[in-house]
Amino acid sequence: MITLEEKKLEEIEKMTKSCGRLLVLGCETCAAMSFAGGQRQVAELASAIRVGRKQSEDQGEVVEDSIARQCEPEFVDLIGDKVAECDAVLSLACGAGVQLLAERFPDKVVLPGCNTSFLGVTEELGVWSERCAGCGNCILDKTAGLCPIARCSKQLLNGPCGGSMNGKCEISKEVDCVWQMIIDRLTRLNRLEMLEEIFPVKDWTPAGHGGPRKMVREDLKT
Amino acid sequence: MTKNDDSMEISYPPCQAACPILTDAREYIQRIAERRYEEAFNSVRKLNPLPGVCGRICTHPCEAACKRGQVEEPIAIAALKRFASDGPWTGQYKAVLPDKPTGHKVAVVGSGPAGLSAAQDLALFGHQVTIFEGLPVLGGMLRVGMPGYRLPKDVVDEEIRSIADLGVEIKTGVRIGEDFTISDLFDQGYQAVFLAIGAHKDRKLGVPGEEGLEGVVSAVSFLREVNQGENPEVGKSVAVIGGGNTAVDSCRSACRLGAREVHMIYRRGSEEMPAAEEEIREAIQEGVQISYLTSPVEILGKDGKVSALKCIKNELGKPDVSGRRSPKPIPGSEFTLDVDMVIAAIGQAPDSSLIADDVGVTERRKRIIVDGPYTLVTTQPGVFAGGDAVTGPATAVEAISAGKRAAISIDLYVRGKPVPTTEAPKAHETASLPQRLIDRTKTFARSRKASISVDQRLKGFDEVDLVFSEEAATKEALRCLHCYLGAKVDTEKCVSCLTCVRVCPLGIPTTSKMGEITIDAYLCQACGVCVLECPVRAIDINLGSRGEIAQHIEEAISSSKQPGPAIVGFFDLHGNFASKDVESLAQDYPNILPLMVFGLRRLDTSDILKAFEYGADGVFLAACQPDRDPFPKETERVKQRAAHARTLLEALGIDGGRLEIFDMPQEGLVEKESVAEMIQRLGNSGQARSA
Repeated sequence: MITLEEKKLEEIEKMTKSCGRLLVLGCETCAAMSFAGGQRQVAELASAIRVGRKQSEDQGEVVEDSIARQCEPEFVDLIGDKVAECDAVLSLACGAGVQLLAERFPDKVVLPGCNTSFLGVTEELGVWSERCAGCGNCILDKTAGLCPIARCSKQLLNGPCGGSMNGKCEISKEVDCVWQMIIDRLTRLNRLEMLEEIFPVKDWTPAGHGGPRKMVREDLKT
Repeated sequence: MTKNDDSMEISYPPCQAACPILTDAREYIQRIAERRYEEAFNSVRKLNPLPGVCGRICTHPCEAACKRGQVEEPIAIAALKRFASDGPWTGQYKAVLPDKPTGHKVAVVGSGPAGLSAAQDLALFGHQVTIFEGLPVLGGMLRVGMPGYRLPKDVVDEEIRSIADLGVEIKTGVRIGEDFTISDLFDQGYQAVFLAIGAHKDRKLGVPGEEGLEGVVSAVSFLREVNQGENPEVGKSVAVIGGGNTAVDSCRSACRLGAREVHMIYRRGSEEMPAAEEEIREAIQEGVQISYLTSPVEILGKDGKVSALKCIKNELGKPDVSGRRSPKPIPGSEFTLDVDMVIAAIGQAPDSSLIADDVGVTERRKRIIVDGPYTLVTTQPGVFAGGDAVTGPATAVEAISAGKRAAISIDLYVRGKPVPTTEAPKAHETASLPQRLIDRTKTFARSRKASISVDQRLKGFDEVDLVFSEEAATKEALRCLHCYLGAKVDTEKCVSCLTCVRVCPLGIPTTSKMGEITIDAYLCQACGVCVLECPVRAIDINLGSRGEIAQHIEEAISSSKQPGPAIVGFFDLHGNFASKDVESLAQDYPNILPLMVFGLRRLDTSDILKAFEYGADGVFLAACQPDRDPFPKETERVKQRAAHARTLLEALGIDGGRLEIFDMPQEGLVEKESVAEMIQRLGNSGQARSA
């Protein structure tokens, strides 16, 4: 899933100040699962903004709504009437959702209520960690299912580096050295010889370094 | 079990499913926990015309079914019913009669629980009802069978009065078969007759010496004399034959009337004894000696009076038709007890000689024949029958149930509608709880009823059991596990985030591979944690729903007209406080707007913010003592949410001190100094703001 974090209330208050009637719009998939943009968060944030507006005598009603995913035009269009009645939309979605809203509602102020973080997994309730960098060329078959692009601080393809100490990365004792983990796991799987093959220099074009990415599936297009 | 495979069927909680009249015990237990006693009573009373009676003498099958019983001990449901029915709030109850009487006349023969409940329901249907009672007093076995130390006469009288108040005409001292017949009733314009004549005829012991000796009495006539205040003379040493509640009642009454020795002679073992355990225990405390596995052989006499009882010891053989092992005499084990009185309490039958000419009765036990347990139609058109007269000696609540069913059948009959034959619902057994759930459920000791001392008891017929104190009652009510009031997932909204699976303290929600969440409504204890934590609000609950909490916040604030700061105080119902504490809080601190919640754990950051949004100047959360909290770990989490709310308030430039967490004291709602300080502080800052 894409993980998100709600922005600090101070920042949100500032960006929504004097913007009139405001729609706080939730996104019920990744943002909800990150506890940053589901209906529960919408209610909390909308309430906080109302309290703030009351305090600072800022005018304008704060209304709440939510759609399944703000990254799908069909869902976004379903909220069109409500958006039309508002002066601004505070989107509790990832950057993709915010931008699709802006695209579908060209004359409306659209504001981000969240910071988009990473592609990751839930470790436990309330703890998420990064697992994928979306580099466009998966090598997990060669690295024992552990991604050095997403999880090595230097994104090394032929690690570990000299900064690996007792299984930890030199940047912090909290961070595991993924290369140590790769070696341990390959040893356990009896596949350590896989590391004898040296990775060539990585082509970052599929990762977006060749410009904004777009994916087209001719077989699915209608 | 109450967990239905067929989801279309209504899921009654086990207590309700076990009750012959489907009393919603869960509802009144909840009202007691909420300190809303009048509503608790109304909940009992709307279905049961004899709540004070049932609160005392019901055999409470609900308790045997109670889910809590699988954890440690069942909820003391009957004692809670008595609590609800014993308070000053009961006088407020008013049944609503239909605007227009139907004009139909119905005769009810017998004023026991079956007759009384039929009379009430028929009156509520708008019919003109007359009760015909053979004895000079009303109440049937409740009045003449049940000793006053178990069921005080004024309780029976009071409840009968409220039935009479519905316009039911009552005639006492008129005995069917002697003073009038069924056809007389039809001649007098009654369109239907309900026979609820009970089972007042004792079965004979069938041993030599039973007839003709002075000092041999039947339990029914003995208890009838006792209960009509005739203080019958008892012997110095009394033997009571039988093992049911009537036998125990006879023993304990004999003790109170001065018998020095009372022997209870029962043919089977203690395991098989049908009398209620509690009754047996109290009888033993009062000095009754029980001889198990003993049968009478002969009553011996001297000068025409009982002088001894010859008995024989039994051993238990193979189970008989009743499923109980049948007693077999051990040859040569005869012995003699010196007694001067023998009371036979081995069962009763209806005195059907009174009506046998008019309706069919069974061959052996002389019970009135009805075509089905739900229609109660006898062999004569327009005549219905129910209660002990049909079933043989049974419980008060079964008789009440029969009365209620008869009322429905009679109502249909007099209005010319067919009386449909409905099948009795299948008996449900409470499903067993998985061990892991039992292990995770916090135990709370069952509240014990207090009773008067044995010395005090033996002095007369004072009621033995005392009503629960308010503290005991609320504590007991808070033990309820809220079967079927718990979490329900709206699958359309659910995004399979698994939060419910992760937060449930009992491990009840499960997921399929494709993320379909299931929450077992029977196992769920309605703690409300998943409801609150669900990020997409896909879970709702019937106990303290999110909508309800929000509504209460809004109502509390909008109703406040007090000058000075408005402070919303969330109180945990699990705290140790009385209804008067709520009143005195309102009186002493009108600035506090109290909101009672079934556990602070149900409150989200947004609830706290809502209070501020609606105009509160301050909010506090009053947490109960952790040992009273069924989910203390989950309550801890509310403190983190409060901390988060405080951060948000401060981000908005609002003093975080407007949100406080208090610990509830050992007794009462809140330490008065803390609230007084908060009111003063917020009052001052409020003035500063407006200045």
